[in-house]
Amino acid sequence: MRNRVLVLLTLAMVVALWAPVPIVAQGPSGAAATPNVKSGGTATTKIVWDPTAPPPSNWTPPRTPWGDPDVSGYYLNLTYTPLERPAALAGKPLYTAEEAIAAFKRAVALDAEVDPTTIHYDWKEYGMDQWQSPVRPNRRTSLIVDPPDGRIPPLTEEAKKRQAAAAAAERAKGPDVRTPGTYTRCVTGNGGPPRIPGGVTAESQIIQAPGYVLHLIEGNSDVRVIPLDGRPHLPQNVRTWLGDARGHFEGNTLVVDSTNFLPTRDFRGSSSGFHLVERYTMADARTLKYEFTVDDPTTWARPWSVEAPLPKIEPPLYEFACHEMNYGLINFAMGSQIREKEGIGQSGRAPVFGQDEER
Amino acid sequence: MHIRLRGVMVAVAAASVAAFCVTAVSMSGQAPAPAAGAQPYRAPRTTDGHPNLNGIWQAFTTADWDIEAHSSGPGPHPEIMGVYGAQPGGQSIVEGGEIPYRPEALAKKKANFDNRMKTSITNDPHRFDTGDGELECFRVGVPRATYMPFPFQIFQNPGEINIVYEYKGALRTIYMDPHFQAPVESWMGWSNGHWEGETLVVDVTDFNDHTWFDRAGNYHSDALKVTERYTPISPFHLQYEATIEDPKVFTRPWKVSFPLYRRLEPNIQLVEFNCVPFVEELVYGPLGLYKPYK
Repeated sequence: MRNRVLVLLTLAMVVALWAPVPIVAQGPSGAAATPNVKSGGTATTKIVWDPTAPPPSNWTPPRTPWGDPDVSGYYLNLTYTPLERPAALAGKPLYTAEEAIAAFKRAVALDAEVDPTTIHYDWKEYGMDQWQSPVRPNRRTSLIVDPPDGRIPPLTEEAKKRQAAAAAAERAKGPDVRTPGTYTRCVTGNGGPPRIPGGVTAESQIIQAPGYVLHLIEGNSDVRVIPLDGRPHLPQNVRTWLGDARGHFEGNTLVVDSTNFLPTRDFRGSSSGFHLVERYTMADARTLKYEFTVDDPTTWARPWSVEAPLPKIEPPLYEFACHEMNYGLINFAMGSQIREKEGIGQSGRAPVFGQDEER
Repeated sequence: MHIRLRGVMVAVAAASVAAFCVTAVSMSGQAPAPAAGAQPYRAPRTTDGHPNLNGIWQAFTTADWDIEAHSSGPGPHPEIMGVYGAQPGGQSIVEGGEIPYRPEALAKKKANFDNRMKTSITNDPHRFDTGDGELECFRVGVPRATYMPFPFQIFQNPGEINIVYEYKGALRTIYMDPHFQAPVESWMGWSNGHWEGETLVVDVTDFNDHTWFDRAGNYHSDALKVTERYTPISPFHLQYEATIEDPKVFTRPWKVSFPLYRRLEPNIQLVEFNCVPFVEELVYGPLGLYKPYK
């Protein structure tokens, strides 16, 4: 009975998706599921993100009352585009618009399915599946736009040695509260900057005041203060989890340069040489184009860059009192220690959160 | 001879004082707070015509130790901490000096103080039953965030005023236009603000009951409402007042007040204070869940 409901649900989804209208869920009862009120809408196939298209001719990028380009607002860091280009799409950096819509519909159908054997939370019940948000199709086949193959560059030899030594030290220490990533420990949200779209707790906000920009993500309520007055970075010996940011405008683009990251911050295996440049540009009235370049000569053979369209959503953001209420961490650490005593390793099942959540 | 010299000295002194006063009036950046009866200070304006509160500010009281008057003394674990952990003496920031506890509520304040260093290591809501949350790097609520010994920064735009506290990088949004109703209770409360002349007035509601006003165990219930007032009194000072209302704990509303000082160092900035990694050993060690690297 349950499988039949699932099949009918999926078929209903596929039928609904072919129509060029906003996609709304049909829950098992037949009633429309509530869209995520914070998302400000539902997914639509009508507007494909086309990085080759010029900005809309009937739209002027807005300015703040004191004359800076206005990139402020609430944004959703979600996408169905993978970070790295799948092997099957090697050599194909861009879909046609029709292919992008077809890929999007396939991803939505997969997302709307509920497999009781693997699902932990059914986000759809809370209106928080990605297709219940303003996320939309993307002509790009990967978020990584450089190197041209759309994949993270190889690690340097130094990085391989360093990561092997760190893994050995971790094994020698044994599992404890510092074994999971900084998000599970409530040290940073979503692993700290840059915010790669995808995963959980996707809401963010950019706030502007004269001489400053604030970039706030709901994950862990992390906020980065970005001065625009050209002051130098903090001295090299002062290190932080979220980096030390400095911003300026180039035309309508906010450019943010961040350094001084703690080596223990470990963004995808990186270390003390981590340097991040982000670019924020309003692409149209409802979309922020978010780009970043990561370079760390102690970790990757060359820099790599990402581009992602972030849709606007409705306010507000909520306080994320992560460490105050981190009940799960005790269970996680105790469970890991029990499994180690029993000689059983990690479950081998796909984790609930993506890799960028666990870092 | 000496009488004439003294007369000259008095005249010179008088002239100096007069010159200082003239200078003080013309160089408003160096004037002390205006005397009673003088024109109230009018701050420079933002683009939307309101007093400009942007900048980095800090309180210089010992209120985080105890908001009422207190002696200096050894802090917790003096055998390890020595002066590093000792408590400075200080005067009360409570108007009238003492907090008007209900008689039955005062007993809990004393019990809080005795248990202020106790951490309750559980993975359920009992972890808030005892101890001062600051010890474990929890959010400290409002108004305590204002008088923590750390700077904070105000970012002002027409729709919102945001405050980022260096302690924990905690961000608080004061909704100016439009106002929003609190969707849920929180540690830092929910803030809606408006202007009354030169004063920013902030209504803070929907707190949980997990925070204390200081390390001395002064506390509140989930009925807490706080009304803050920020008034520029010079280019370098804000006068801060916070009215506390909580009929479950106190016999009447009461107020704390103190000046906030603008941080003037060139290139001054908040330097990240993420205390979560600093407390993992304290919080999780007793359960054997924190292991040092060898």
